[in-house]
Amino acid sequence: MVERKDQIQDRVVRSTKKAEPIESRAKSAEEITGNQSLFSRRTTGDIIFDSINTVIMLLFTAIMLYPLINTVAMSFNDGLDALRGGIHLLPREFTWKNYETVLAKQGMADGAKISVLRTVIGTVSSTLCTALLAYVLSRKNFIFKKPLSMLYVVTMYVNGGLIPVFLVYKSLHLTNSFWVYIIPGMVSAWNMLVLRTYMNGIPESLSESAELDGAGHFTIFFKIIFPLSMPVIACVSLFTAVGQWNSWFDAMLYNRMSDKLTTLQYELMKLLSSVTNNNANVETMKNANNVVTPRTMRAAATVVTALPIVCLYPFLQRYFVAGMTIGGVKE
Amino acid sequence: MSKRRSLAAFAAAVFVMSSLAGCGGGSTGTPATTTAANNAGGDTTTAAAAADTQAPANNDAGGDATEAPAAEPAASGDIKEFTAFYAVPGNELNDGNDVEEIIAQKIGARCKQTWLTGQTADEAIGVMIAGGEYPDFIDASTGSQQLIDAGGCIPIDEYWDGYDNLKNFWTEEQWNSVRAEDGHIYIIPQFGNRWMYDTETTHNDEAFWIQVRVLEWAGYPKITTLDQYFQVIEDYIAANPTMADGKTPNIGYEILSDDWRYFCLENAPFFLDGYPNDGCIIVDRDTHQAIDYNTTPTAKRYFQKLNEEYKKGIVDPETFTMKYDQYISKLSTGAVCGMVDQHWDFNDGELAIKKLGLDECTYVPLGIVIDEGVVEHYHSPAALDVSNGVSITTSCKDIPGALKFMDDLLSPEILTLRNWGVEGEDYLVGDDGLYYRTDEMRANANDQAYINKHLCSYSYFPNYSGMDHDGINAASPQYQPKEFYDSLKEPVKKCFDAYGVETYVQFLNKAEGTNEPWYPMWSWSNNLTSDTDEGFVWANMAEVKHEYLPKVVMSDDFEAGWDEYMKQYSSRCDIDVFLNAANAEIQRRIDVANGN
Amino acid sequence: MKDNAAGLGQTLTKGPRTLINKKLLKNQRTLILMGIPFAIYAIIFCYVPLFGWIMAFQNYKPKDGLWHSKFVGLLKFKRLFGDDVFLKTIRNTFCMGAMNLVFGTVCAIAFAILLNEFWTVKGKKVVQTISYLPHFLSWIIVTGICFDVLSMDNGIINEVLVGLHIIKEPVIWLAHPKYFWWIVTFSNLWKETGWNSIIYLAAITSINPDLYEAASIDGAGRLSKIWHITLPGLKPTIMILLIMNIGNVLNAGFEVQYLLGNGLVQSVSQTIDIYVLKFGISNGDYSLGTAAGIFKSVVSIALIAIANFGAKAAGEESLF
Repeated sequence: MVERKDQIQDRVVRSTKKAEPIESRAKSAEEITGNQSLFSRRTTGDIIFDSINTVIMLLFTAIMLYPLINTVAMSFNDGLDALRGGIHLLPREFTWKNYETVLAKQGMADGAKISVLRTVIGTVSSTLCTALLAYVLSRKNFIFKKPLSMLYVVTMYVNGGLIPVFLVYKSLHLTNSFWVYIIPGMVSAWNMLVLRTYMNGIPESLSESAELDGAGHFTIFFKIIFPLSMPVIACVSLFTAVGQWNSWFDAMLYNRMSDKLTTLQYELMKLLSSVTNNNANVETMKNANNVVTPRTMRAAATVVTALPIVCLYPFLQRYFVAGMTIGGVKE
Repeated sequence: MSKRRSLAAFAAAVFVMSSLAGCGGGSTGTPATTTAANNAGGDTTTAAAAADTQAPANNDAGGDATEAPAAEPAASGDIKEFTAFYAVPGNELNDGNDVEEIIAQKIGARCKQTWLTGQTADEAIGVMIAGGEYPDFIDASTGSQQLIDAGGCIPIDEYWDGYDNLKNFWTEEQWNSVRAEDGHIYIIPQFGNRWMYDTETTHNDEAFWIQVRVLEWAGYPKITTLDQYFQVIEDYIAANPTMADGKTPNIGYEILSDDWRYFCLENAPFFLDGYPNDGCIIVDRDTHQAIDYNTTPTAKRYFQKLNEEYKKGIVDPETFTMKYDQYISKLSTGAVCGMVDQHWDFNDGELAIKKLGLDECTYVPLGIVIDEGVVEHYHSPAALDVSNGVSITTSCKDIPGALKFMDDLLSPEILTLRNWGVEGEDYLVGDDGLYYRTDEMRANANDQAYINKHLCSYSYFPNYSGMDHDGINAASPQYQPKEFYDSLKEPVKKCFDAYGVETYVQFLNKAEGTNEPWYPMWSWSNNLTSDTDEGFVWANMAEVKHEYLPKVVMSDDFEAGWDEYMKQYSSRCDIDVFLNAANAEIQRRIDVANGN
Repeated sequence: MKDNAAGLGQTLTKGPRTLINKKLLKNQRTLILMGIPFAIYAIIFCYVPLFGWIMAFQNYKPKDGLWHSKFVGLLKFKRLFGDDVFLKTIRNTFCMGAMNLVFGTVCAIAFAILLNEFWTVKGKKVVQTISYLPHFLSWIIVTGICFDVLSMDNGIINEVLVGLHIIKEPVIWLAHPKYFWWIVTFSNLWKETGWNSIIYLAAITSINPDLYEAASIDGAGRLSKIWHITLPGLKPTIMILLIMNIGNVLNAGFEVQYLLGNGLVQSVSQTIDIYVLKFGISNGDYSLGTAAGIFKSVVSIALIAIANFGAKAAGEESLF
């Protein structure tokens, strides 16, 4: 344990000097696990391991790939035809209609704008605030470490309920406002704990020596801890960004009356929920006289919303998949 | 060890409680709270202010209309903007929708409509009540009573003089049945109002359905009892194990039991006994007493029959695990010979069958009863549902304008626009004055994207069924007889001829005159809440039936299965509590109808 | 507020090491100043709304609001715990939550490690990208595919098992209560394993590569490196996530159970959330839902308190 700590410290110091922590770390990882490493002599054990691992990975990929391909196939299939089922990897009756309907939905453009804004602002602010709190709570001797941690841990498991929360937001003038997307999600206890765990693993001596040099907490946080936590920061930002991008309930609940504050996902939900309400009853359905919103349109909506995340992903991915940078982009 | 753990748990709980108490009290006055509030407020004043005007700012010229003095009629060119929320799932129209725009030009007002998304009606209305902000119009669905109790609606009868279309929408007697306990009218039921007479061609409600091909194969027999119905299906399956393609196996009978759609499984007993769809109970026509249809001898015989058919393999073995999607996809293949359902519920499946060109696999309704001699009552006249309707809320700043809007929507010209669309685009007029549509127009009317940008039926505002005000055409295309005939294909026409009928409705007994004064009782049971005793029983009945009815149908030993079900049912549901509450409601409705 | 927090701190961390004195307070002035806004934030956004919990002791009606609804004491709790159906939902929720926790955690860690050991960088990237994508499919799509896979007609599971003569004739998987929890668990694994492994992948990057190098020189095999270096390196993250997720055992959700469930398996498929939706929200009884929520919160906090205590006693990373 002690030995490990020293080594980490050693490495971290080295990395900070180079100011390229990710790359160097990634490089070393590649040297060890890659097949063109220093240790070109692969043992039989290695070969067996790699073969089995490859088989597992291929199987896994196939299982994961199926629903994705199926969804894409569905999204290009005629809605009425798809009701019959039996569509697997390719559309049976090809059509662009589902995408046309989804993209022609009123408010998609406004919604997309707000969605992008809330994702960007929400992710940056939440990641920063959460990381800052994690930093505060990762200081070993901080006297309020325990009560403050507890205060936040409990928030993960308690919930006042829909109406009380609504009343609080309303009294804070957060309803009918863009900020309801940002402020309530500013600090996430879950992310904070993940970040704190990672920061706990960063040797204290680093901050201590900085402190001796006269650096304040903000300097230590921004100059040392934050950059060193990049993998997990990337990971937490991804979670936050996806959460922001996908959420629609807050738009519905707090900004129902404000056309200009609608989000992409809320618009899609409106489109899709016309027949999927779980708690309808016989008479409402009869009177609603709805046009079918088939599975195919849902599939198209899924593809439309997942696409931006898929495009964004490689930029974050390189931070937390060790060995990524070697084959990919170098800075 | 365990003692320690429970201590730790207890300590944690106490800590939570104490921190709650401490913080909850202390935080309200802290300067920091106020700052946060101010900041949030400061940043959002514009947005909040914009929303306060109720009509979200629009780029159209009429954006300012709401600020004009309410009493003055809007000058020509000014268009009032209203907002509406319906606590039911629905389809949101695009801004600048063509028909909405035409109507707006004609009557000087339009309404932005939003629908329930991802919540239950009660939840959505509960939040609105807590916040105290409403749109101008609201249909609170099952939350109506809550909303009225909370004082969210204005008493329409105090304002409605001079708005005759609206005031005469229902008769004096019918309005009386809508009045709240304080004697005022807060909601306007918008459905079930027939102009002149019904031209219904399709039976939109529940029945035992059977495929045309089965009837054709059997030589168009007369089918009235449950036994006959299943006999025909059994014979057909024995002779035709697969569909015409020789591959797809035929399925004798499907029973949908997914969530609230499990009426397909559970409510047939009252139809079999010749009673109409009161939904939750049978009402004895002489004594006016509620009867529980779940425990009648008919119910037992019905489920026994299903059990027999299940064992014979006529009922699809997978039937009880199906969700609605799977059910529709099975129907869509055309392989399913029969089922109990409401027509609107499987309409999508039937459309898919037609798309495949398998019209012989579409369905006709049968008025099946338990024994010869029972008179079936599957088809009821359009009913006034007094529990639901559209209201004007206390947030509405222009009540006369809102009333005028509703009133104008009931004028003949606007009704035609709402129901048929634009002449020349959505329908054509024949020399005889009859409206008709081309295939393209029909397809458009079923295309969601087209509807969103072009059609606007204001479907949750008062509307008529039956005939158009011109007295020539049906109120809306789906009821136009000629429209109906044009869409019939050969196998269906043959079947109609064999039975000597011209419409689907004629397969069933004609809906005579008016409904009983208590009908429909489902408008009562739909609004039960589980914090009342009868509501709790009602929820438990659903719970038990959901679990045990499939078991009964699948059981190896029917008697044992049925006994177990009855045991559970009687021990978990205090049925007398429910029946007494139902009796009280029946009596109340009879009294109201008698003007007491 | 500060005094209040200080008081709490004192009572909870009595020990010579953290004894609070003026000097410490002064030294940590910046940290305390940084912490205060966070404390206030948590109180406003998470604790103030808890005044809604009084609903559980009322017969809440929106028209009366929180302040004027009728108080009914513990009636709602009595109704919940007097209802066999609810007691069953507790069991179901707990079991499905626990299965999910155990299998979800194991699979996510295993996947992260195997992916990390994958020999081509491109392959890593591709496999990782594909594996996290199912997270974006809604449950309604995923369960739709489950129905296809489990179907009697030509579902792949039945076809394979019949083909291998493991079963004689196709099984209606969703009609049997004994399979239901497993089906839910597998659906969850399918959808979330890739996504959940991201966090472990990030944690693996913190492991010092020199350790692997040294181990290789010592002649350690791949498996022994995983066992002696990767897993210990992941331990703090695993511990923290485990403790947090133990608190979430009762939040086993409702969508997947609702979408896969049916009357035949109702006795094992209903979770607390489904019960609340059925008997509370969709029947207009908010108080019942709130009572169930309070029950869940108390159990969750008790569970994490126990888990945290255990972790601390074992000298592992803990929440507080």
